[in-house]
Amino acid sequence: MAKARDIQRRIGSIKSTRKITRTMEMVATSKLRRATQRVEQARPYAAKLQEVIERLVTPDLVELRPILRQPERIERAAVVLITSNRGLCGAFNTNLIRTARDLLDRAASDGIETDLHVVGRKGVNFFRFRGVRMASERTDIGDAPTAEDARSIIEPVALQFVAGVVDAVFLVYSEFRSILRTPPVARQILPVFVPEERVRSGPWYILDPSADEILSRLLPLYVVNAGYRALVETAAAEQGARRTAMKNATDNADELTYTLTRLYNRARQAEITQQIAEIMGGAEALVD
Amino acid sequence: MTPGRALRVSIISPAGLGYDGEAEAIVAPAYDGQLGILYGHAPMMVLLGEGELRLRSGSRVHRFHVARGFLQVVANEVTVLAEEARALEVPESGATGVSPPAP
Repeated sequence: MAKARDIQRRIGSIKSTRKITRTMEMVATSKLRRATQRVEQARPYAAKLQEVIERLVTPDLVELRPILRQPERIERAAVVLITSNRGLCGAFNTNLIRTARDLLDRAASDGIETDLHVVGRKGVNFFRFRGVRMASERTDIGDAPTAEDARSIIEPVALQFVAGVVDAVFLVYSEFRSILRTPPVARQILPVFVPEERVRSGPWYILDPSADEILSRLLPLYVVNAGYRALVETAAAEQGARRTAMKNATDNADELTYTLTRLYNRARQAEITQQIAEIMGGAEALVD
Repeated sequence: MTPGRALRVSIISPAGLGYDGEAEAIVAPAYDGQLGILYGHAPMMVLLGEGELRLRSGSRVHRFHVARGFLQVVANEVTVLAEEARALEVPESGATGVSPPAP
């Protein structure tokens, strides 16, 4: 049986680790609350933008606007992967990276060339370690991404798309469906696809300038907003994943402390019993 | 101002709702110049430029800096959609650009 003092040392170390994980859990909880708020605040803008675009799009405009045109064949695609800068959030980044690699593998087997753009230190480090060439790396996006951040990531790829360098742009991120459901997803953001049945008619609007010109300004906003939402949702999902991971770690620490405390008490008792037995033995020897 | 003769205004940006309430008059920076909107305006969609958007609600004037946006009027509901919509300080008095209601 282990020495009582050794067990005590282990309990001490687990307790101090627990303090850290518990603190991280609480920090993640408060960050999660703010991040969730940002996700929710971004919704009305996205919904309205989508509605207006659907109202303005007409089939003949689809042919005119490069952002809307569906390519006959995808030859080269850009993949933008969003990961977090920090770890200790369970399988969060692993899942995102796996989703991106699946997408890249599928593209490769279809004979599609890909440019990989990675946001977040975790993703960048993974692909750098693997020796995968990345078209761009970003590690400067914080816990509260802004529309400006999204623009700086999306605009260069969007320009490549418009110029015809790439035929499609995919975004891999964590979709924030609820605090407990944040699956990694791969979404195509370019070309923008407006389902035929969603195209609404509304000739009763005064349009200034023409629908075509308004669209030419709104579509880039829409694409950048898709990037913004991906950043905000991934940031929220990261905090959620970290909270869960840290909660599990804290719970494990509690369980370990409990088991070890029992072991410690038993070991301590055994030691005392032994000592008494030794004293008794000594005393008896004297009496004789 | 007659009650019930106000526009419902919402200013929406990715960061959330910048303004959600009523206003009697709006002056918006359209892509090609200033644009005034009063109650009863025809349905309209217009591209915004970068500049200051003012809206008068009662005696108060709210000012916003908007950029990369869009304005929609339909059934006396005005929706301003802008990637950047930041509330500005209300100036001391006068020089608001929104004239008082005609007597």
